[in-house]
Amino acid sequence: MKPHNPELISALLDGELRGLRRWLVERHLHRCAICAAEYRHLHHVRDMLAANPVDASMSDSSEFFWSKVKREIEARSQQSKVVPTPEPGFLGWIGQHSHAFATAVAAVVAALGIVWVVQTHRTAKHPGSTPVVVVRGNTVTVEQVTTALNHAVATPLKGDDTSVAVIWVSGLPWTPDLTAMETHFANTDS
Amino acid sequence: MRRVSLTIALLLLTAAAHAAQVQALLIRASNDEKLADARLKELQPQLKKKFGYPYYQQMGEKHESLKTDTVSRLDLGEGFVVFVTPKATDKKVHELEIEWTSGRASLVKSTVKISEGGHLFVKGPAVANDWIVLALTVHE
Repeated sequence: MKPHNPELISALLDGELRGLRRWLVERHLHRCAICAAEYRHLHHVRDMLAANPVDASMSDSSEFFWSKVKREIEARSQQSKVVPTPEPGFLGWIGQHSHAFATAVAAVVAALGIVWVVQTHRTAKHPGSTPVVVVRGNTVTVEQVTTALNHAVATPLKGDDTSVAVIWVSGLPWTPDLTAMETHFANTDS
Repeated sequence: MRRVSLTIALLLLTAAAHAAQVQALLIRASNDEKLADARLKELQPQLKKKFGYPYYQQMGEKHESLKTDTVSRLDLGEGFVVFVTPKATDKKVHELEIEWTSGRASLVKSTVKISEGGHLFVKGPAVANDWIVLALTVHE
């Protein structure tokens, strides 16, 4: 077995190894303190992720949620324009711990998503503070969008087709039929 | 004198005929095939791409000429009204202030820049298993 191979440790954790290969990796873990530490670390990360599952119940569709996360990532990446040059030893470290690094990045992305969901719900309580987001296109551009309704959020969606712009108003009440909806909004002040 | 008046009237009519118009459509997005509407044949592919529903029903339609800083009220039925206020026009790109209301509730306010051929879709409230969608288009 190649010494200090994080991919094999990850594969062992994921239950992907069978037979002789599994036995070899397990034997190496018993003998190698570095890999044993890596194994414990990855095991700990897995346990933490399993113990804190992301709440899957969202009022938004998956497509809409992803568009919000994507936009947030794009916005944050534009803010941090200065990228520090890593020291030569850092690249080597990443090479040796690529799986742990990827796991950490995935955890950060998941955390960003959770933070985004929390912020969205907080924003919904204060409709006046709905952020202004600009979506550029050739023929349709949403310059500004707001909603005055409590618990609702209006968001412009960015798509590939520049001739179509979409404003997604989420958090609006559900009604069983058109009559009920008309009655509901007739009695709703904004 | 009569010829001058006629000419002026013709010029005014021509100008009015060339004024850009905003078209507002109230649409119901649904999984029910019975609601498929032939009037939305051209718009259906774009609606399906954005909202995923296979069938779309046109519930209301209004046209209005765009006049700068003049509020147009487009009553689309089912209690939905769209207020459109053109703010400026630059190279046939129209800057519009839009407010979509239902009853006493203002669902969304937006400022958009839209040109000929562009579509603005607004995803509104859900009714039963369907969504209400507003579609705005400008025609020169």
